[in-house]
Amino acid sequence: MSEYLTYALVLLSLGAYVVLDGYDLGVGILSLLDRGERRRREYTELIATAWDANESWIILGGVALWAGLPGAYATVLPGVYPPLIAMLFAVILRGMGLEFQSASGTYRRGWGLLFGLASLAVTLCQGLVIGAVLSGLPQRGGHFTGDALAWLTPYSVLCALGLVCLYLLAGAAWLQDKTEGTAHEWAGRLGRPLLGATVVAALVLGFGLEAADPQYFHFEQPLRATLFGLAVAAAVVCSAVAWYGFGRRPDWRPFAAVLGAEAAGLLALVAATAPVVVPPSLTLHEASSPPGSQVFLVVGVGLCMPFVLAYNIYAWWVFRGKFREAGRRSPTTTAPDDGSAGPFVPPTEPRVVVIVRRTLLTLLGILLAAVSQDIFGGESAWVDPLGVALLSGTALIAWILGDRRAQRLGEYDLPGGERP
Amino acid sequence: MASSSVVELSRWQFAITAIFHMTFPALTVGLSLLLAVAYTVYVRTGNPLYLQIFRFWKKIFAVGFGLGVVAGTVMTFEFGLNWGIYAHAVGPVIGVTIGMEVITAFFLEAGFIGIMLYGDGRVKPRTMALASWMVAAGTLLSTTWILSANSWMQDPAGYTEADGQFHVTDWWQVLLNPAFGYRFPHMLLAVLISASWFVGGISAWYLVKRRASALPFARRTLSMALGVLAILMPVQLYVGDATAIFMGGRQPAKLQAFEGNWTTDNNDYNLVVIPDTDQGKNDLRVGIPYLGAAIGHDLTGEAKVPGLLRTPPDERPNMWSAFYGFRAMYFTALAMFAAAFAGLVLRLRGRLFTSPRFLRWLVWMTPAGVIAITGGWITAEAGRQPWVVYGKLRTADAVSHLNLTEAALSLTGFVLLYATLLTLWIRYIVRTVKAGPEPVVDLRPGRPEVSGV
Repeated sequence: MSEYLTYALVLLSLGAYVVLDGYDLGVGILSLLDRGERRRREYTELIATAWDANESWIILGGVALWAGLPGAYATVLPGVYPPLIAMLFAVILRGMGLEFQSASGTYRRGWGLLFGLASLAVTLCQGLVIGAVLSGLPQRGGHFTGDALAWLTPYSVLCALGLVCLYLLAGAAWLQDKTEGTAHEWAGRLGRPLLGATVVAALVLGFGLEAADPQYFHFEQPLRATLFGLAVAAAVVCSAVAWYGFGRRPDWRPFAAVLGAEAAGLLALVAATAPVVVPPSLTLHEASSPPGSQVFLVVGVGLCMPFVLAYNIYAWWVFRGKFREAGRRSPTTTAPDDGSAGPFVPPTEPRVVVIVRRTLLTLLGILLAAVSQDIFGGESAWVDPLGVALLSGTALIAWILGDRRAQRLGEYDLPGGERP
Repeated sequence: MASSSVVELSRWQFAITAIFHMTFPALTVGLSLLLAVAYTVYVRTGNPLYLQIFRFWKKIFAVGFGLGVVAGTVMTFEFGLNWGIYAHAVGPVIGVTIGMEVITAFFLEAGFIGIMLYGDGRVKPRTMALASWMVAAGTLLSTTWILSANSWMQDPAGYTEADGQFHVTDWWQVLLNPAFGYRFPHMLLAVLISASWFVGGISAWYLVKRRASALPFARRTLSMALGVLAILMPVQLYVGDATAIFMGGRQPAKLQAFEGNWTTDNNDYNLVVIPDTDQGKNDLRVGIPYLGAAIGHDLTGEAKVPGLLRTPPDERPNMWSAFYGFRAMYFTALAMFAAAFAGLVLRLRGRLFTSPRFLRWLVWMTPAGVIAITGGWITAEAGRQPWVVYGKLRTADAVSHLNLTEAALSLTGFVLLYATLLTLWIRYIVRTVKAGPEPVVDLRPGRPEVSGV
């Protein structure tokens, strides 16, 4: 039983990932199609507040899979090694493009393009991975046994293209919700063609699965058939709502509908395939870790989940509404490094005194280092904690006193700010 | 099983990705605390200097944090990509621990970082301060879980073995394993210290360059950094020594390798060795007489430092990496202690901000903490080889079913990518530092409205 809870956790995380990171990857790809530099910059800034949190879900999904279903984790990851590694490279490049673009304060073509292209690459690789898993991986006893190209099948390539359509659709819906002006209109116009393409892709992939997946689907079981039918019906309804909502107010409707369709589609897939997690034959039961670990994982994560959802929703709420550029301060003019504060004042002491003092202090320092690192610990054990406490205590007192003196002398006052 | 070249390549790949990833948390854990403190002080006092500190260090923190996140994503999948057998065996233990890290720590950081970085003006200042503290709490929790997981692999406890997997019998023993008690405080201090050198070194640079607009800012952060360092450095040397002695007892081969002796007839403390791994002897050895015995708690100088020949050949770690990893950590630690001590003396004499030679020294110390942490992890990880779970699972038996081309191509890709990324990151930091902190306006009542230009 506990393995179903674990499976639910894995699915929840991966589902949340597809739903959340899906839109920001889609916006990334869309940024390639938009010529306007100001809008391109706007797209990255839209994503910058949320991508960390969105990407966390795939990490949770991966780790939950590892902890709860190590058999599946250890079979799938080596099996899809090349596309998954390529996806990780693209994730890194995307993060780099996004962060450097966001930090630079203005639009930088190179970073913007890197962000867009890497978004596309991440999506394609994810599609390949999903397609490869659905078409089955050679395996034995929780280990992958196939060759380096087991992931490359016609189905996985189709899956990659389908995922690009889906993420573009989610991205367009998100842009309609979050932007104004030309980007808003553009997103509204793009929505329906993208939705059409996604529906075609879903149909092709759905019917293709029968041929690609080596396992037999047990649709004769009434519960499975009912769940599958309901999920598909929900997906159809959501798609219709999205079709109607593009280019019309309220602006949030297409995005909500696309999310619903994504969730329903995932449920339909699970209803068709459970309990097989890695086709053709690795079942949930065989892949799962011992019950103790699963209970710990599910209870631990379950207790934290309400908090996680609460602050994620709060963070989402903080950045609600249409995107507006934060009041950017003008780029700082670089101050000269040529000593605008004047030279250091050299001390006026006899040279001998300085040398003697420095020698003594160096010796004292070495002695203190020796004491504190326990060199004499074997002989007189009381030196260790006491000596360390003494040293650190002196440092603390010196810090407080030194800070007070600096404050008195006005060394921390901003220039021009006369203190009363 | 898998060929030995796949094992070697996978080990290199893991080492490189882990070291690269470690560079960022080594700075961001401490920086997140600095940001939280700075913003809280700003909220409480209204002193714009602290807002200036927050805004400047936020820029450096944000990019480092983002790169740490993506590099961390790589780590999550690498356990299964190259180490499928290992992943299957330890999933019920390490998978769960890291799962808890993700849900308690990773989400906390990621959930609040958006507010912390972009919330200025959108949320109340108190909420900003809270978000900063949540990010800091997330980074600290993350350190805790990761050290628990890694320490379990160094010194496993609370498990039984069944069907080629480790099954947990006692979660408390797994999470609070004996090695964790030593290695966690050691690492926690290390990340705080390394961030302090980073902040201290960059602040010192403004003082060295005598940039008038940045002086109060630089003095303030320099004072904080050196204050923390003077307190923590002695504690760290003490904790580090205790860790070395404890781990040396649990993993004798590691201690033998990092002390650099083959035979057990030497009471020197070795400074440089050129080991000959095949012959089991040193081609060159430079040491300080009697110091080895003194470190082993024998002031008569008679005690001999144990040599690596005591360990059977197929259980020996590589002496090069363990010895030089340890020396990199230890010698940097001595330099850090000396600098912190010198800073303490200068502070007592009231010359902390006006000693050009000391400040120049501090600028050179900017990466010291990161170097020491890297050296320490090389010692810890290379020193426990050939085991991945100490005494239980050999690294060579843990690798995935991969072919050589896949492993070689991905390693090359990571090396190129990470080298580029590191260069760009350093360039970004240099540019940000050169541009300096942005001017701020003092809006407190009774104060002239001035800017920091």
